[in-house]
Amino acid sequence: LIIINFFDQLMLDHVIYTTSRGSVTLGDLLKFLIILSLTIIVTRVITLYLRRYLKDKISKDVSETILKFVYYGSIIVVFIAILPMIGLDPSGLLLAGSITGIILGFASQNIVGNLISGIFLMIEKPMKIGDQVEINKISGFVSDIRIISTLIRTYDGLLVRIPNQQVFTTNITNSVSYPVRRFDINFGIRYSDDADYAIELVKGLISKEVFALISPAPSVTVNELGESSVNLIARIWAPTSEWATLKTNLVLSTKKTLEDNGIEIPFPQQDVYLHAVTEKNMIPKDLKQIPDKEIESVANYGERMIY
Amino acid sequence: MMYGNYDLPFSVKKGGISVSMDKSEKLWIYKRTFGEDKVEKQIIGDGKYITINPVEPLNTPKELTPNLMIEFEKSLLLAGGTIKTIILTFPIEIGVFISDKENTNILLLDVFTQARQKFTLYGSVSNGIICKHWKSAIYSTSPSLDHMQEGIIELTIRNTTSDWVSISKTIFNAYGMKLYYEDRVFMKAHMDILSKNTAETSFDTHHLGEGFKIFHLKNINTSKEAIEVYNRKLVIVPLKFEMRLGF
Repeated sequence: LIIINFFDQLMLDHVIYTTSRGSVTLGDLLKFLIILSLTIIVTRVITLYLRRYLKDKISKDVSETILKFVYYGSIIVVFIAILPMIGLDPSGLLLAGSITGIILGFASQNIVGNLISGIFLMIEKPMKIGDQVEINKISGFVSDIRIISTLIRTYDGLLVRIPNQQVFTTNITNSVSYPVRRFDINFGIRYSDDADYAIELVKGLISKEVFALISPAPSVTVNELGESSVNLIARIWAPTSEWATLKTNLVLSTKKTLEDNGIEIPFPQQDVYLHAVTEKNMIPKDLKQIPDKEIESVANYGERMIY
Repeated sequence: MMYGNYDLPFSVKKGGISVSMDKSEKLWIYKRTFGEDKVEKQIIGDGKYITINPVEPLNTPKELTPNLMIEFEKSLLLAGGTIKTIILTFPIEIGVFISDKENTNILLLDVFTQARQKFTLYGSVSNGIICKHWKSAIYSTSPSLDHMQEGIIELTIRNTTSDWVSISKTIFNAYGMKLYYEDRVFMKAHMDILSKNTAETSFDTHHLGEGFKIFHLKNINTSKEAIEVYNRKLVIVPLKFEMRLGF
């Protein structure tokens, strides 16, 4: 302000040019340039601090987009605001910009939708880079969260790009959001096996596993009395990072331990009882056997054969 | 006792653990056997020496958490405004370090444990913290232990509230742990009860000269300060643990 007043008082009342809004002096021009320069410097400092702040919070791509938006956005806003200083009317520019904006808006509805969804995703943070998620039946690791789309690396190594609008409006299942996760092992034993003994064996296995958590406590219970087996369920909590390995190990060791202790996991089975056929219900011996072709063509074959 | 400094080559055996380092042509071969667990590493360079000492029990089977929860076998009731010192046990991991003669440029070569390992969750599923779990009885004097498996913590509990509190567990941060060893392994810690559900734990980082209230060490000056794994990491982290979800 001191500098600006200095220009006002001492020097620069010399008119350079005249527009419909009035005459523009050398001082006006210098004021315009100083404000614009200061804006650029201040915006650069802000973006520098913002870059440091966002460094570990969001991906570099996203942070760079935000920083560019802040940097150029601030300069454009200030530039338009100080245009009257050099005798230019920004209303025409704004009108042209508005019309262009409307046209572009209609033309790029999806892009804007994705952009806004991307911003909301960054605020809501349902996932972060590296998380294991399922979005719209696509499972994998979050590779990047960009302003328009989210990239997922599937477990079989494919890159899937999902528009942020779709990510925002669908269910997101984050497998690693919490520090621990539970898994269930369902298994059946024969009705003749001792269920208490089977429970004791599986509990022993769980207690030996380093990553099977003590709290929340694991449980092994009889879940239901099935058609072919007594069905048991073991519920185990594990650190999220160890969940898959522990599950794989425990499923195998459960099978082996039960088998080693004479407890079998039965196949589905059905008991069939056969009764001896009495003389009365037997087919008469003198009944003539009908060839197959004829049997197919005769209606009510069963009734005719019996009676 | 296996703990100490060794010039190369060396070989030491104790309680089913065998550690050795021998020269094979131009390479040093490090071998460690503990049950079915075998480790073998090759090292290039002369003028090194080996230090074997107890380390924070949070390195094996993998560094999952820096927090150790010691659950008391029986809850401890403490009157308001009182300070009591108790003794607890903690699991030990054994670290093998290689360094220059001047004890500079130290590298953790191997770490293993004979102690039982288990993990638990402190707090709820949505906002809890994973901790290494250990269960200990409360002792008033130093118990007799296998010092290759267990160490002792002298824990001073200060109840700053005016009410009785029931304490069933304490949690320590590995970054603050300070281990000493002589004919046994020990640490000195504090637990300040700040409110009904909040406590803060920390370790005494003063040298042994400050003394221990309960221990009666044979030669306090011969006790050695262990090379720690966590303290050597160049990170700025809190050394205390705040138990906000009950104790």
